[in-house]
Amino acid sequence: MSIDPFLVWLESTALSEWVVGSPSMLAFPGILALHAIGMGLAAGLAAVLDLRILGVARGVPLVEFRRFQPVLWGGFWLNAVSGVLLLVGYPTKALTNPVFYLKLLLIAVAMVLFVRIDRLIRSGDATAPATARSLRRLAITSLVCWSGAITAGRLLAYTYHRLRA
Amino acid sequence: MLHAGQIWLVAAIEQHSPVATLMRTHWAWPIAESLHFLGLCLLVGAIGSFDLRLLGVARRVPIAAVHRLIPWGILGFAINASTGLLFLLTEPDQYIYNPSFHFKLLALGIAGANAGLFYLSSFRQVFGPAAELDAPRRAKVIALVSLCAWMTVIVCGRMLTFYRPGPCVGQSGVLLTCDPK
Repeated sequence: MSIDPFLVWLESTALSEWVVGSPSMLAFPGILALHAIGMGLAAGLAAVLDLRILGVARGVPLVEFRRFQPVLWGGFWLNAVSGVLLLVGYPTKALTNPVFYLKLLLIAVAMVLFVRIDRLIRSGDATAPATARSLRRLAITSLVCWSGAITAGRLLAYTYHRLRA
Repeated sequence: MLHAGQIWLVAAIEQHSPVATLMRTHWAWPIAESLHFLGLCLLVGAIGSFDLRLLGVARRVPIAAVHRLIPWGILGFAINASTGLLFLLTEPDQYIYNPSFHFKLLALGIAGANAGLFYLSSFRQVFGPAAELDAPRRAKVIALVSLCAWMTVIVCGRMLTFYRPGPCVGQSGVLLTCDPK
């Protein structure tokens, strides 16, 4: 079964037409700008937490990094919402490109890793050798996932096959 | 005079660009863009954390400890200055006549001057032996300006595509925002 009828319908909705067609700088350009800011906040703060686990800024207790988490989650939700709007704008472009699914997968894994890292930090002794080892492994994987997600996201502009249904 | 300077700069880069051929190969531009985004995250993560600390987040942590992140922010900036230069040296007209690029440079200048001001004005209170856990008000203002300036840099960077310079028709203003060719 083809998803084309769904794509055709989605592209004909008022929201989709506004995202793509509105001459307002707050429509497509504004949403893209918010998506870049959310990326900087979410991936940036996650990367900084990973770097801390790997030995940067050792003077900052890991638990204290939890104070920055609301900003990280803020960036994540900003991008979930702006991402859905961009998807509604160009559903065919994204959903017919395997790179888009790779990007979503990498973000999902990165967020699961973030939650697991956080759970380990909250559980108490992050300096116990076994915990520290797990944390380092999670942090390295997290950095790889975020780098991959960002690269995949950027490459979406170069790898799509169909722009509209 | 500024207009003539812009035209000269575009012509000079177009004639002598050492990287344009490389950047026009199939994947060079997308790879440089991806690096530009990775650098952005590093910069925002590191500088943003430090600014948030100055503003009072994670107040129990000594400011100097969070400052250890700054070299990573500088690394992000270096990645972005280099990749940004690659774009500029390949398609100079797309940037030098682009109003969004002018605002991006302005915001970058503000971010830079603001960072300089921080080290000149607040270094001792924030890092000295008598450093307090709560940053002085001046440092907080600087942190807020820094966050706003970097957000503006990102927004202007993302907006470049939507303000591509078209051909000039009786343009005036301090800077050219159209392509005279």
